[in-house]
Amino acid sequence: MNRKNRILLNELTKTDFKLRYQGSILGYLWAIIRPLLMFGILYLVFAKFLRFGDEIPRYPVYLLIGTVLWNFFTECTNQGIQSLIIRSDLMRKIAFPKWIIVLSATTTALINLAINLVVVIIFSLLAGVEFSLTWLVVPFLILELYLLSFGIALLLGSLNVKFRDVQSIWEVLIQALFYAIPIIYPLSIVAGYSNFAANLLMLNPIAQVIQDVRFCLITKETLTGWVVLENVFLKLIPLILVAVVLTVGVLVFKKKSKYFAEEI
Amino acid sequence: MARKKDIAISVRNLSKSFKLPTDKSWGLKQAILNTVKGIKGYTKQEVLKNVSFDVKKGEFLGIVGRNGSGKSTLLKILSQIYVPDKGDIKINGSLVPFIELGVGFNPELTGKENIYLNGAMLGFSNAEMDKMYDDIVSFAELEPFMHQKLKNYSSGMQVRLAFSIAIRARGDILILDEVLAVGDAAFQEKCNEYFRNLKGEQTVIIVTHDMENVRRFCDRAILLEGGKIIKDGKPDKVADEYLKLFN
Repeated sequence: MNRKNRILLNELTKTDFKLRYQGSILGYLWAIIRPLLMFGILYLVFAKFLRFGDEIPRYPVYLLIGTVLWNFFTECTNQGIQSLIIRSDLMRKIAFPKWIIVLSATTTALINLAINLVVVIIFSLLAGVEFSLTWLVVPFLILELYLLSFGIALLLGSLNVKFRDVQSIWEVLIQALFYAIPIIYPLSIVAGYSNFAANLLMLNPIAQVIQDVRFCLITKETLTGWVVLENVFLKLIPLILVAVVLTVGVLVFKKKSKYFAEEI
Repeated sequence: MARKKDIAISVRNLSKSFKLPTDKSWGLKQAILNTVKGIKGYTKQEVLKNVSFDVKKGEFLGIVGRNGSGKSTLLKILSQIYVPDKGDIKINGSLVPFIELGVGFNPELTGKENIYLNGAMLGFSNAEMDKMYDDIVSFAELEPFMHQKLKNYSSGMQVRLAFSIAIRARGDILILDEVLAVGDAAFQEKCNEYFRNLKGEQTVIIVTHDMENVRRFCDRAILLEGGKIIKDGKPDKVADEYLKLFN
């Protein structure tokens, strides 16, 4: 990335962040409070009333990291897809590489994730989790999730410029996706009913990342895709999916972005 | 014939058209109907037809023409916002475009924050903006307001701030679209003074409807009509030609 693009990315991200909590009393604290409240609700409903995850040690933090990563994914894709529309004014008035807009929107989500991870780590330590070397793998898993989100944002974002339906379709789709990933329920419940269903769920890179992060960070008793999927080729499918989505996203964006200023 | 290194911008055989969707082209039902009936759903409008010209370094060029003659499209192509259908553009040096003043201005940010944001849009780092900052603020005469949000500025103040950034941001080529008339009489006079001093120093391209400005500032002018250059030469002659279009 050249100097000019870096300056622009920097300023756009800073502005995004500054404006998001503009005019609220708690300000940046909302970046932490919101996911904690979300987690509180899920915890009450699923851990306390429905008694999911009784067999998983430290289920609250296990649930917390799942929701934090999921929130990151939804924020990253939603903001990324909408960012081009939000910044349409800029695109019509000045020439610059358009992907900087998507990069800046997704970087804002990444910063929020970093803040949330600090909270997760504090809670984990309080819950009795001990530091282990596998923690060092977590950044790479997050990078994988980020690349997937970035790819989706590039692909759907560029389609959204012409067909605003995309943004609405994605919002519905993401609701469905939420239930197709073992976030609020443990994967073992699914595996208990049907091995095939558990296999299918774990082909999803988001599910793979969430389970792997839980494994590395919280408890080695997490059922990961690596364990569930027996075939080596199947184990690699999540990674292949990320690569495909990212490549398609970059190619489509490259082709379409030339005409954003005219079409938006 | 000017030597190659004296040319700031060179435009050759530039053409551009837009597909304008007709009102009968939206929605799924229409899209299917149009495909079945073989209707295209848009009309093609040629905005620029085979335009060629050169701009010399240090030249102050005015582009004039009626509404819809293709002036703004031409500027947007020069600024690399639009992609040409056909033709070549060569730009020699850095180009600072002001298609509109205050690009990226945000009402919720303070005047100071907006200066840095606007600067970033034009490719200036914080360190570079630090150097220009005092100059910009004093030219705009807005020193007491820099830590207030932009939404609390009067519209005249906003334009003054934006304009000051525009003329302080030094690139090799400055492009201005219809932005000469800003501020009150005193500020106007200050801007005029500034433009007079620019003459011969910097390459400037302006689009304007004000023939007074063309005669006063420009070394050369181009008259566009229907996407073609119909006159290219001395500002006085071009301004007269332009006024004749309306008689």
